[in-house]
Amino acid sequence: MTINRQDLAVGAIFIVIALFFALNTFFGLFQPALPIGTPQRMGPGFFPILLAGLLTVVGIAVILKSVRSQPLTLNDVPWRGLAVILPVPVMFGLTIRGLGLVPTTFLTAFISAFASRRMRLPLALALAAGLTAFCTAVFHYGLRIPTPLFGYWIPGLS
Amino acid sequence: MKKLLGAALGALLIGAGAASAQDYPTRQITMVIPFAAGGPTDTVGRLLAESMGRTLGQQVLVENVAGAGGTVGAARVATSPPDGYTIFLYHIGMATTATLYRNLPYDPLTAFSYIGLATEVPMTIIARPDFPAETLPELIDYVKANTATVTYANAGIGAASHLCGMLFMDAIDTQLTTVPYQGTGPAMTDLLGGQVDFMCDQTTNTTSQIQAGTVKAYATTSPERLEALPDLPTAAEGGLPELTFGVWHGLYAAAGTPEPIINELSDALKVALQDPTVIERFAALATTPSSQEDATPAALEAKLVSEIELWRPLIVAAGQFAD
Amino acid sequence: MTELVANLGLGLSVAFTWYNVLFCFAGVLLGTLVGVLPGIGPTATIALLLPVTLNYDPSSALIMLAGVYYGAQYGGSTTAILLNLPGESSSAVTAIDGYRMGRLGRAGPALAAAALSSFFAGTVATFLLAVFAPPLAVAALRFGPADYFSLMVLGLVCAIALAHGSVLKAVGMVLVGLLFGLVGADLFSGMQRFTFGQIELADKINFVSVAIGIFGIAEILRNLENEKAREAMVTKITNLFPSKDDLKRIVAPAIRGTALGSVLGVLPGGGAILAAFASYTVEKRISKTPEIFGQGAIEGVAAPEAANNAGAQTSFIPTLTLGIPANPVMALMLGAMLIQGIVPGPRVMTNEPELFWGVIASMWIGNGLLVLLNLPLIGLWVRLLTIPYYMLFPAILCFACIGIYAINSNAFDLYELTLFGVLGYVLVRLGCEPAPLLLGFVLGPLMEENLRRALIISRGDPMVFVSRPISLGLLITALLVLIIVLLPGIARRREAVFQEDGD
Repeated sequence: MTINRQDLAVGAIFIVIALFFALNTFFGLFQPALPIGTPQRMGPGFFPILLAGLLTVVGIAVILKSVRSQPLTLNDVPWRGLAVILPVPVMFGLTIRGLGLVPTTFLTAFISAFASRRMRLPLALALAAGLTAFCTAVFHYGLRIPTPLFGYWIPGLS
Repeated sequence: MKKLLGAALGALLIGAGAASAQDYPTRQITMVIPFAAGGPTDTVGRLLAESMGRTLGQQVLVENVAGAGGTVGAARVATSPPDGYTIFLYHIGMATTATLYRNLPYDPLTAFSYIGLATEVPMTIIARPDFPAETLPELIDYVKANTATVTYANAGIGAASHLCGMLFMDAIDTQLTTVPYQGTGPAMTDLLGGQVDFMCDQTTNTTSQIQAGTVKAYATTSPERLEALPDLPTAAEGGLPELTFGVWHGLYAAAGTPEPIINELSDALKVALQDPTVIERFAALATTPSSQEDATPAALEAKLVSEIELWRPLIVAAGQFAD
Repeated sequence: MTELVANLGLGLSVAFTWYNVLFCFAGVLLGTLVGVLPGIGPTATIALLLPVTLNYDPSSALIMLAGVYYGAQYGGSTTAILLNLPGESSSAVTAIDGYRMGRLGRAGPALAAAALSSFFAGTVATFLLAVFAPPLAVAALRFGPADYFSLMVLGLVCAIALAHGSVLKAVGMVLVGLLFGLVGADLFSGMQRFTFGQIELADKINFVSVAIGIFGIAEILRNLENEKAREAMVTKITNLFPSKDDLKRIVAPAIRGTALGSVLGVLPGGGAILAAFASYTVEKRISKTPEIFGQGAIEGVAAPEAANNAGAQTSFIPTLTLGIPANPVMALMLGAMLIQGIVPGPRVMTNEPELFWGVIASMWIGNGLLVLLNLPLIGLWVRLLTIPYYMLFPAILCFACIGIYAINSNAFDLYELTLFGVLGYVLVRLGCEPAPLLLGFVLGPLMEENLRRALIISRGDPMVFVSRPISLGLLITALLVLIIVLLPGIARRREAVFQEDGD
């Protein structure tokens, strides 16, 4: 008997998510606990608890079934990609107001390019410059999004 | 990265000091509207932005920063550089969220500079087309006699229809079953379909339905009858003088904006409120521009202070908060 | 009938002026482009265009904005098929089989099938809009909260039926989506749920962040797992246009999708979002070869594309005839009217006949322009796939970030993008499908809202769900679909057990 570790992990993730919502509803982490109410007069906690309960059941069922199924063959985890790609949107969010559209777009393109092992510095610079020009043309001059080209961190240009 | 941040911080300090009224405005101004595009406040804002931009000689660009009854946008403006390049149009919510939200990240009374009042949109009380009552007194009698079955629709906590409902229930001293909706559109849908009984909402949303006879109308909350709906009595005529209020809109900037800049903005607002296009389009919204005396910082400040005091006890008594 | 002809004549006379055709073309072109760019969708675009339209005649402005909306439906399916990047919940369904087709070198036929069935659906639905708008709008008002709840139940059952792998995992993904859909201020009590004191979260998690996170970011990461495999795949592109056999296969699904989409699109409470995946479920269940669904079935592209385009068109019915917005885009259309000084409502049709019929007639022109525009573009889009992926994904990220930020100017939406990128990648890597999660996320709040609202109106009487005929009918349908979904599952499991025994 082999255990499919992937399904085991899926079941565990479902249960963790369910518990997270359930505990938050009952005890309230960083927020007040949510009243459950009654089926006739549901409180804000009723639906979350119902769903969390169902998700727990599904999670357990997935774990029980993992005993008999065959795992998929997986590629390696792209650690480099994860480390580079995932922080990029956060960086974008933190800098867009201060730096403005042009520098932030350039940074986004430049940094994310290095998620691939094939990327070389000259190409990354060219790519970032090209994308910045394109995005500025499309979003600023074309669609006229209200974000300034240069933010208030850059006094001379804003 | 450290160097960059240092430069940025330095820039921030220089930027804040450099603003002076003489050459204001030298670049485009952003008008933050704390609601999604397409709604009544957004429409008011865009019409003003158009006209003010012409007076100021720089484009006034609308930026919708929606969320949490408008407080997300307010929080954004409260932390903006006070250089007059970010202005903010917010309605009665500026006063009611002061009580509805107990953990606002800003103080509504100190976080903003006042520019002036823009308009006050009246409300109307309407019911599904086959509702038995014909006049406001009949409606009140019917509602009081059928508290167990009558339903009042609103567009969510903090919405104008929610505030009007609170005021109405307080005025007739009766608690009703409230059915909340995600916005006015769905609430109106269910009212037209007869799923709920009555509601009270801004003329912007109700006038065309009233004129087309798809809903029954009982009263307007304005002090006088409306030009667009001359047959509709005021709430005071119907015996509810307490129910006189409107969704007032004010224009703000971040606290600490230099006074000459504020005055320039206030003057541009005054011009906009006399602009024939603005007046004409406001009329389509069944509202009128604020008077020249009201379009001043002092009038807006007085309004905000008095409205916070007006709504606080009502909201506390209703016991519903938005946090 | 003569009245209808006269009205349509009036509409065509408005829509066929050279400048309105130009506006229509500008609208559909822009719509196609923003539909193709991941992140920025029709809602953000129309919002950004509002100030521009101030300067134009109301009919021209609305014709252009409408063009952006249905043009974006065409464009949105393009990225779903090419890059597994759905910009809207409806194209999440197209992505399932469309993207598989792309990986099999059949991106061309997939795009053509999407364009042709969209064109068919758009044309038919516009006709329905012209003929039946007023009575349909009135009929749609019969839908109460209880009926919407039952419709959402049916929708969720369909969401599970979408899955081509484990049904159990699909149920789990739907539930995860439903739970994340609840984050934000509770409509009924005003209490903040799972927001950790962040007011940015009070208005729910941004849909586009979730969609791009679990589809787009997860897809980028999967491609980075094995960079060589991706390169190999793009060389295999075969024919650009569908074969005769392909065309034969898409006719019936396109018709059924159009019918379903037209009906659901009329419902003002967001029924249109169900159209695409309800039609996919229908096709999968009546197909003689259900096993090819999820493996690149062209029917699985044609049906949802037809449904979502038909729905997009008929969602104008409540907007134009009652002044009630069916979705955020329609709310913007009403806003555009307000800015122009036209009060949206039941009297637009009689007071502004030129506007009303002009916009409707322009939809025919627009759909024609779209198909003319999109068929030649297929070659260009397919060539996009030959761009090395390591140059493509920085572009995807840039567009996604700017597009998401442009919606609300809310940096928080970008943090959500990272969060759902991680979650999506982990779950997809472990063999879960993202589409059910996305649909659960969209339907969750609607379902809870209508359930609680129905119970408030009925004073807590649960019988309301079975005593209303519409609701009862929908619940019975949901039950039937559920049984059909589970039955082959049981059969398949048995088969699997047999095979294991045989080994």
